[in-house]
Amino acid sequence: MSQNHTKMINIQGKEHSYNDHQVVNFNEGLVGFPEMHRAVLIPLAEYVPFCWLASLDNENVRFIVVNPKQVYGDYQPKMESADEAETQTLALVKISSDWRKTTVNLKAPIFINSKTRSAAQVILNDSTYQLAESLPNT
Amino acid sequence: MLVLSRRIGEKIIIGNEIVVEVLSISDGGVRLGIKAPKETSVHRFEVFNEIEIANKAAEIAISEINQSVLENLSAHICTK
Repeated sequence: MSQNHTKMINIQGKEHSYNDHQVVNFNEGLVGFPEMHRAVLIPLAEYVPFCWLASLDNENVRFIVVNPKQVYGDYQPKMESADEAETQTLALVKISSDWRKTTVNLKAPIFINSKTRSAAQVILNDSTYQLAESLPNT
Repeated sequence: MLVLSRRIGEKIIIGNEIVVEVLSISDGGVRLGIKAPKETSVHRFEVFNEIEIANKAAEIAISEINQSVLENLSAHICTK
């Protein structure tokens, strides 16, 4: 099978195609989801800048993530032992049916090494970043 | 659960690399020093637990997704 072979994944009843370069590896899993080792990032093209983060180990585990810098321009978490230029930062979004109550987890971002595709959720010691940050201007 | 008694200055080792030392004891509190490899995360349990609860809540909240919520969120962020 070639590296760029397109695969399909079903998320919330809808089929999405993806390539290997969209797969990320969580060596230690996600906090509370230690069994989630492989996941795929699928941009929601119609709803920029959101992406699906869908587990490839458990078809029931799906998250919505966002690049927090696109939502909160000044988000600048301290990365220990990570090269900022090679690191993609994502934050988990907690959706609410009342969209204004949707929050973003800035306290425990996901760092992805763009080269190795290895990912980890990191708990920041910085108390300025909240676990459930409201959207700006809501 | 393994239970050990240690005095100030004494240590325990977990696995081959994680060392926990009792630094001081006062007023019912214990100060611990932890030496662990860089890739091992060390946190107060309450903090870890809080993140765990938040992650699970975010995963469960996926059921609240619908087209109108996503449209509103996307429009709000893109026009801010």
